[in-house]
Amino acid sequence: METLTALAGGFSVALTPVNLLWSLAGVTLGTAVGVLPGIGPALTVALLLPVTYSLDPTPAFIMFAGIYYGGMYGGSTTSILLNMPGESASVMTAVEGHLMARAGRGGAALATAAIGSFVAGTLATAALTVSAPAMVELALRFGPAEYFALAVLAFVAVAAVLGESRLHGFASLLFGLLLGIIGIDPLTGVPRLTFGIPQLLDGIDVVVVAVGLFAVGEVLYSASRKSVDPEIVTFRAAPWMTRSDWARSWGPWLRGAAIGFPLGALPTGGAEIPTFLSYAVERRLAGNHGEFGRGAIEGVAGPEAANNASAAGALVPLLALGLPTTATAAVMLAAFQQYGLQPGPLLFQHEPRLVWGLIASLYVGNLMLLVLNLPLVGVWVRLLTIPRPFLHASILVLSSAGAYSVNRSAFDVGMLYAIGGIGYLMRCHSIPLAPAIIGVILGPMAEQQLRRALAIGEGSPVVLVTRPVSALLLVVAVVLVVAPAVVARLRRRHRPA
Amino acid sequence: MAARLSVAVAVLMATAFVRTEAAAQNDASTPAPRPLRNLTIIAPAAPGGGWDQLAREMQREIDRQRLAAGVQVENVPGAAGTIGLAQLINGRRGDGEALLVNGLVMLGAILWNQSPVSLAQVTPIARLTGEYEIVAVPANSPHRDMRSLVAALRANPAAVSWGGGSAGGTDHLLAGLIVAAAGLDPRRTNYIAFSGGGEAVTALIGGQVTAGISGYSEFAQHIESGRLRAIAISAPRGASDLEVPSLVEQGLDVELANWRAVVAPPGLTEGQREALTAVVERMAHSESWRGTLNRLGWTDSYLAGPAFERFLDSERIRIGRIVARLRGSADGTSAPQVGEWLFPALVLGACAIVLALIVLGRSTSGRDRAAKNAPVVRVALGLVASAALLDPMGFVPSGTVLFACTASAFGSRRRLRDIVLGLTLCAVVYVAFTDGLGVALPAGVLFGRR
Repeated sequence: METLTALAGGFSVALTPVNLLWSLAGVTLGTAVGVLPGIGPALTVALLLPVTYSLDPTPAFIMFAGIYYGGMYGGSTTSILLNMPGESASVMTAVEGHLMARAGRGGAALATAAIGSFVAGTLATAALTVSAPAMVELALRFGPAEYFALAVLAFVAVAAVLGESRLHGFASLLFGLLLGIIGIDPLTGVPRLTFGIPQLLDGIDVVVVAVGLFAVGEVLYSASRKSVDPEIVTFRAAPWMTRSDWARSWGPWLRGAAIGFPLGALPTGGAEIPTFLSYAVERRLAGNHGEFGRGAIEGVAGPEAANNASAAGALVPLLALGLPTTATAAVMLAAFQQYGLQPGPLLFQHEPRLVWGLIASLYVGNLMLLVLNLPLVGVWVRLLTIPRPFLHASILVLSSAGAYSVNRSAFDVGMLYAIGGIGYLMRCHSIPLAPAIIGVILGPMAEQQLRRALAIGEGSPVVLVTRPVSALLLVVAVVLVVAPAVVARLRRRHRPA
Repeated sequence: MAARLSVAVAVLMATAFVRTEAAAQNDASTPAPRPLRNLTIIAPAAPGGGWDQLAREMQREIDRQRLAAGVQVENVPGAAGTIGLAQLINGRRGDGEALLVNGLVMLGAILWNQSPVSLAQVTPIARLTGEYEIVAVPANSPHRDMRSLVAALRANPAAVSWGGGSAGGTDHLLAGLIVAAAGLDPRRTNYIAFSGGGEAVTALIGGQVTAGISGYSEFAQHIESGRLRAIAISAPRGASDLEVPSLVEQGLDVELANWRAVVAPPGLTEGQREALTAVVERMAHSESWRGTLNRLGWTDSYLAGPAFERFLDSERIRIGRIVARLRGSADGTSAPQVGEWLFPALVLGACAIVLALIVLGRSTSGRDRAAKNAPVVRVALGLVASAALLDPMGFVPSGTVLFACTASAFGSRRRLRDIVLGLTLCAVVYVAFTDGLGVALPAGVLFGRR
């Protein structure tokens, strides 16, 4: 009850007309910036930090929350329409979303992404309101062993996206793992596979890999087939979600939110694993009858919902422990400190007005996102009516600018093109692209956490199974691997009878 | 067309928005004449970390006191700041309008990674802040002081895991110093490097590691809320007003401060150096800077001129010695850690097997017969040309070449129109990124260095 009163107080702060305007400004700016690959919400918030010198804390944070959500959503727009994931969390959206856009269902894909983001973001913010302290206790039980088990689970789950040929999927995954090794080994500080090139010391940014494989590879591939490839259809039938789209979307939205929020709350969770898992869940639920591989709306609705829910989840450790777990949260922490506020368990007691105002502004930001983006869906889809020579040329120019901005380095642009060339060759030989990205993201995490877990356990792998959470996750992973085979065998045995 | 317009409008809005904010801060009164008109403070890290925070606080302070005009912060992240350092040394020689934020972490990384660039190659300006390190344990830990932790360490060094920041960083150095001071081989330090302070603190609160090492500000609120217990500080005896006994007081001869400083590019004239030092000194000696340090919990450790140069030299020698002892060569006595080459070896082996399988099964995967090579070659040429032109010529010419090549590969036959369109797009992107987002794309010949 106390919580609800506090939240109502928060809304009375957030819903003043001036603060609504700040929220709108934040969401607009965030979306505009999120559309650009390589420029994420963290940079935008950092850029606007000086604003805090002249602004009260409440409107400033309301605007930052808007940027955060807007940036998350902006990345999915380009994933769907241009196959250009603006950030690693929207890679899974590109897989089915772009297929939908090519089939003339870009409007429905954008709409389910926007509404799914809203639904999941609102649910997750509600969960943040009631369960932040409990989530923190859960998150604290996650040590290296648990993160390793979670990564193993994600690997097993996404085996589904390995494509038609297991071998090809595996090749792609290995390519990603290899790219992920490049750079300074964080545990020992030893450079690996950097060949003495200083720009490689920090590894290859995931955004460069994703944009290279997807966007640049796609342009090259289209060029090779321009005479045989049919023009991209802008609209086939309804530009909007049909009744069946709605029916197929709400389940993934809810499941995405349920996956995204708790994983987002983990201190090193990030937004990627929830999107992988959500995609894998939807794909398994759809079975062989679904449209997966040809543009399934479930494959957009789920990951998008998971992405937005995890963004709200990331605020749990920030508000409750003062621990920034994403770059954006780190910048927001800096902003808190700008006002002499120290986020953490004491913040709820010392500055209730601000905390609940911020939580209320998350609800408002979500609503603003929907208000801003739904009317724009039709406009965005018309991007595809740009004549193909200019569309593809613009994609390359924007990708280059985005890749440059990641590390302010021309080397990354060259890297982007090289990876784009590899992406083209992979497509020519029907090797799927998504497993490579999964390898880049999950590989380093799995390796480091395993090595940390082993070091803490004095070199003994027993720690992986003696800790309950880790053991549970590993059991689920084993079941996922073994169950289909067992079920198939049982069926075979029963059939002759 | 409508779509393109709306994108342009959105970008312009973003630009205008940020600009008015900037203008609102600068135009409060007419600026007085001053030597520095274009000061860039380089934070060699991503937004959000300590160096970025120091750079932005300096920007704010110098701006407010009108010590220099047009102060900008530029983030050059990478390799514990050594990418930014290399850029300062190679790209800004003689530039009297640039400062680079750095510190002990960068010095450690240079020595740890045997980096080709070093802090001896730049112009030292001043040390600004220092922060002592805290050794903390979770609230439910059996260790209440260093004595019991050291006893556990002596019983079995591998059983004591230390959590902290990146390998070769301040936290790692302190762990090694403590183990050495306890009379053990520092190579046996079971140090678990986490990326970022937040991750390490969470692991410590969750009891995943035996002890954690970090700056006081990272631990402060968790010590206050009772989740963590501070058992030692790396300050000299009596130098800290915190209620935590120093390592020295507990019988370990170890002192370490995580200092942060600013340096300038090499090849400056005496005048340029004095101008930069004057700005930094006036900032550091102001009342409001003291307020900023207090607010952030940083300690003032201002040191400039020859004294700062001597300090840098002595730190280089001292840290170099620790690093050499920590690295050593792996033998039977090292920590219980899996080597860094096991996983790459596994992946490379698997790659070889998969490649072999794919090559053996070649017959099944035929190349797309409909594919045409000529347009691909044309796009590829555009990519190669644009990558080659990016740094020498700048973003706009390089992007225009790319645009024109790609458009022609997709069948556009009107060269001039393509070039004009490409030029327009690139100019808009350039302005939006450089002025709107603060991400300076390569300016090249057309715009010149601003």
